[in-house]
Amino acid sequence: MPKEQIINPTEVRKGQMLQIDPIPVNQYKPDIKKERKTWGDERLLRAYYDMATIRLFETMLNTIKMTGEWEGISYNHAGPAHLSIGQESAAVGLAMDLEVDDFIFGSHRSHGEILAKCYAAIPRLDEKALQKVMETYLDGDTLRVVESAGKNSDIKDLAETFVLYGTLAEIFARNAGFNRGLGGSMHAFFAPFGSMPNNAIVGGSGDIAVGAALYKRINRKPGVVIANIGDASAGCGPVWEGMMLAAMDQYRTLWPKDVGGAPPVIFNFLNNFYGMGGQTMGETMGYNILARIGAGVNQENMHAERVDGYNPLAVADAISRKKAILREGRGPVLMDTITYRISGHSPSDASSYRTKEEVDLWRNSDAIASYRGYLLENQVTDEATLDAMDAKVLEKLILATSLAVDLEKSPRMDGEKISSYMFSNAKVEALDDREPEVLMPLEENPRVKQLKTKERFGIDAEGKPVSKMKAYQLRDGLFEAMIHRFYKDPTMVAYGEENRDWGGAFAVYRGLTESLPYHRLFNSSISEGAIVGSGVGYALAGGRAVVELMYNDFMGRAGDEIFNQMAKWQSMSAGVLKMPLVLRVSVGSKYGAQHSQDWSSITAHIPGLKVYFPATPYDAKGMLNLALAGTDPVVFFESQRLYDIAELFHTDGVPEGYYEIPEGMPDVKRAGTDLTIVTIGATLYRALEAADELQKTHGLSAEVIDARFINPLDLEPILESVRKTGRLLLASDAVERGSFLHDIASTVTQLAFDYLDAPPVVVGSRNWITPASEMEDSFFPGMSWFIDAIHEKILPLKGYNPVTVQTNVELIKRYREGV
Amino acid sequence: MAETVLVPQQGNSVESVILLKWHKAAGDTVAAGEILCEVETDKTTMEVESTASGTILKLLAAEGDEVPVKTGLVIVGEAGETVPEETDTSPPEPPAPAVSAPAAITRSAPTVENTAPAAATNPASAGAASPRARMRATAKDVDLAVLAGKGTGPDGRILERDVMDLPSRAGSSAAVTATASTSTPTAAAAQSPIREIPVRGVRKVIAERMRASLAATAQLTIHGSADARALQALRSRFKSAGVALGMEKITINDMVLFALARTLPDFPEVNAHFQETVIRQYTTVDLSFAVDTEKGLLVPTIRDAHTLSLLQISERARTLAMRCMDGQATADDLAMGTCTLTNLGSFGVEYFTPVLNPPQVAILGVNTITLKAIQGKDGAVEHVPHIGLSLTIDHQAVDGAPAARFLQELSRRIANLDMLVAR
Repeated sequence: MPKEQIINPTEVRKGQMLQIDPIPVNQYKPDIKKERKTWGDERLLRAYYDMATIRLFETMLNTIKMTGEWEGISYNHAGPAHLSIGQESAAVGLAMDLEVDDFIFGSHRSHGEILAKCYAAIPRLDEKALQKVMETYLDGDTLRVVESAGKNSDIKDLAETFVLYGTLAEIFARNAGFNRGLGGSMHAFFAPFGSMPNNAIVGGSGDIAVGAALYKRINRKPGVVIANIGDASAGCGPVWEGMMLAAMDQYRTLWPKDVGGAPPVIFNFLNNFYGMGGQTMGETMGYNILARIGAGVNQENMHAERVDGYNPLAVADAISRKKAILREGRGPVLMDTITYRISGHSPSDASSYRTKEEVDLWRNSDAIASYRGYLLENQVTDEATLDAMDAKVLEKLILATSLAVDLEKSPRMDGEKISSYMFSNAKVEALDDREPEVLMPLEENPRVKQLKTKERFGIDAEGKPVSKMKAYQLRDGLFEAMIHRFYKDPTMVAYGEENRDWGGAFAVYRGLTESLPYHRLFNSSISEGAIVGSGVGYALAGGRAVVELMYNDFMGRAGDEIFNQMAKWQSMSAGVLKMPLVLRVSVGSKYGAQHSQDWSSITAHIPGLKVYFPATPYDAKGMLNLALAGTDPVVFFESQRLYDIAELFHTDGVPEGYYEIPEGMPDVKRAGTDLTIVTIGATLYRALEAADELQKTHGLSAEVIDARFINPLDLEPILESVRKTGRLLLASDAVERGSFLHDIASTVTQLAFDYLDAPPVVVGSRNWITPASEMEDSFFPGMSWFIDAIHEKILPLKGYNPVTVQTNVELIKRYREGV
Repeated sequence: MAETVLVPQQGNSVESVILLKWHKAAGDTVAAGEILCEVETDKTTMEVESTASGTILKLLAAEGDEVPVKTGLVIVGEAGETVPEETDTSPPEPPAPAVSAPAAITRSAPTVENTAPAAATNPASAGAASPRARMRATAKDVDLAVLAGKGTGPDGRILERDVMDLPSRAGSSAAVTATASTSTPTAAAAQSPIREIPVRGVRKVIAERMRASLAATAQLTIHGSADARALQALRSRFKSAGVALGMEKITINDMVLFALARTLPDFPEVNAHFQETVIRQYTTVDLSFAVDTEKGLLVPTIRDAHTLSLLQISERARTLAMRCMDGQATADDLAMGTCTLTNLGSFGVEYFTPVLNPPQVAILGVNTITLKAIQGKDGAVEHVPHIGLSLTIDHQAVDGAPAARFLQELSRRIANLDMLVAR
């Protein structure tokens, strides 16, 4: 809601007819003279070579899947093989005019795109650069296997074998595969040549690519980004969200002009007319011609057009024209590149959803045969040259396949090593060495100045609490961590819902707008999936992103992006990619069932995510500092109950300078001897009240520990406490069923069994919807729940009468009833 | 609105309780779940918790009174509230029939249907000790058995604090013997030549039962003996070599219990209840046994004894006996069995006539071990230790010959106990 723009009723209420510009469909006109001039004969011939390579590669995989043997090489491939026989021309045409810096992201059916993009990059790199890439990639492991078959002084030729082998070894899950076998057929990629992650979730690249394009635009990096996604992904929310995010007006209206406009992204729908067996034209979609949907996104129809993907030169021509549009900052672009998958969805596909006649019609217009005919007919080359190419392709693929199936030359990774790829655990002060773009010196920032007047410890000399207005609050800690890193790391951006002028829904970012240009801090469309997905793309492209979803309840909208993308790309890439992405979410209250949940346990369940949840200003600042210096994806939970809380533990107050909390380390907020209470989030303060009550009324000394971290978590301080007290109560605002606290409870039981005087007991919210604010006492754990649970299950308190029902009988009943 | 707290039903056979001690007085405030008073049933002593919260307006019984179950104990209401003149303290439902005919063996497993939160107890864990309590007990050299049934944790779990409150074993012999020893005349009692003891509680029940037993049954006792060499050999091996297997505490009585439990299923006529119009024979064995306690005779029951190993029987018997002696036996512990064993052998008794525990039709008395002269195959006489067995049957249900056949087979099995264990 920028103030510089006005929504004028006279304007928006005016009667008019919306005019939509025509959308070109298959408008390419072959012109061999022009084509020879544009591309040169060598490139035209290489297009044939590249297509033949892909065809043979996919045919080989198909044959191995179906018969267990190809060209005398026996192999049983257990994993997936989603082949693109028939789609080679679309992949090769796409890559013809792409530079090494241009990125393509793909789908589960992207073997052809990997080969086409890498083969297009090889001639663009000089031998030295090629050699360096191969020698350093995975410490040279891939190159060593290729070279074991004999030295090859022709570096470009070697690089082709390297690409064939690296891709195939990845498909066969070998340690020397491009991602050490951790990605496999559907996720293989080779970043040094601009082939970026391929995604097994339909449309998964639709928002990640936008993030990578944002990275290029914001950091003024060369190149465009292409999301190669299927026609059926036009039905996926994240793809639409990606398009909405890519098409925001602000890039051209509000961002500094010199940034260059909209993120350079092409949504290239490789339209083979089927989503598995669902026919998108005529059955499962309603667009008839996919290019039409560009008209639904912006006034420029996303520069959409339908391109004949059966002619590689039509695709190459379209890409060249679209790149020019993107360079001018006028993206995003939509391409409806028609193609056809002759092979099944996978080798198990019996093609029951289409007729043989239909497949034959396409087979008879086969793109490779047509292109070969086109070259011969126009005397660009002769049969012998093309036959020699075919022979070379076969020879190279036999070599690559022999190497890739050989378990001695290409062993698999020791499974235990996977754990070393789950996190990168690096510390990086800045991800680029440019000066960060800011609008004023840090010390002149109005909020920085204002915070100088605040009391950084929440209790005054007389032991009284400092007033909210005077106190340095938890939200101030978060702000200080954010602005610190903004002034250090030029790549750092923050965006999400209401991030800029509003200052974040909870005033964490107030004051950032004054310091940061638009392209480093901006409001996004309400596209939770794409907010996180683009953050993933931004981070894996090399930048640091902090994205915000306001309420953690909205994580459901971004489920795939958090659980399958943010969490997995570091390990699926075997550490080739880093994920310096912080996802800020807050736990609400008072706002009912869809705005008051604590979903930290859900994120805890997903391998690959770090999960932090501070509850004090000191921890909030130190933990966000930690997250913003790391290279791992962090889901950063905050509690809306605590944004205004003052620091009550560190008597020296929250330091003005920079510091980090040691990762995974729980903090003893109050020492005690009789009972340990471990909390996550805002229940810390209720636990302290309970500790007061236990001390005052029952003479029991409770040790209160704030876990602070959910993953990773160092259990030792908790164990040490439990060994001392023998009793453990755990509490959070997450609903009791499936709460991560049960994990801690059962693990502590395993590790400190002999020290326990009672089983650890978990107190969580009820397994209900969060009711209205006025009824929340029946839902969220209150102080008396702690005492009652202790009395009923751990240590009966003399003369105490429970006020809530915390008995085991009740527990059994709740389980039985499922509530 | 005033509310009457009733004496809770405690098992099917309990009809009334003796109020031993009030923990609250009129005018006190009480919360649901708080202890109102201590009562004694025919089988055990227990605490009664309040089911209402408020101020106690009136106590409806005095200490020493016998109060029928499901009748009023106290009236609880708001302070100052007047008690209705004619408070209906009668049970809300007609009382259960005095004789719960036909007395099938009741198995009142704790049920989760019971949702009264504070009263929800889990007898299964009564006597269980927390790992920390066990660790502490080891460190302090305290025998946790001393605390059986005295845990202050949820469901009676023995907690660390319970162990901490105990003196260590070195200084604890007094405490231990106090629980185990029978009463001895005190100095005060010695001053008066006559001591009057009101007949109530357990004593009253014993009196009634014994009289009823003799009045209503046709008792016949037959005597026999069994070669005790196997028993003695096993006993000495358990003592010396059984420690590693936790078997060092298996007694001769346990072995006879075991033999009895394994023999009864083959003689359903003695493993039976006689109930006027019907004889109910059992193929399963719930074996009762007599325990001498400070308050008198108690008869706990080992459920499904025929399915238990010797070690299990031994442990079960020891636990039950301990609870009886501590006054902590539950109604369930004291449920009616299918047959009973009583042992006076440790006192050197050679023969006696055990009194039946109706409606059971048999009770086995176990006597001391004596040497019996046996003529061997070669005609020479040797002295073989024998354990005396006195079997009383109810001739209404069982005739002499089948009883004798049973006793003969039991003797044979006891003589070959080492083999029976393997069966």
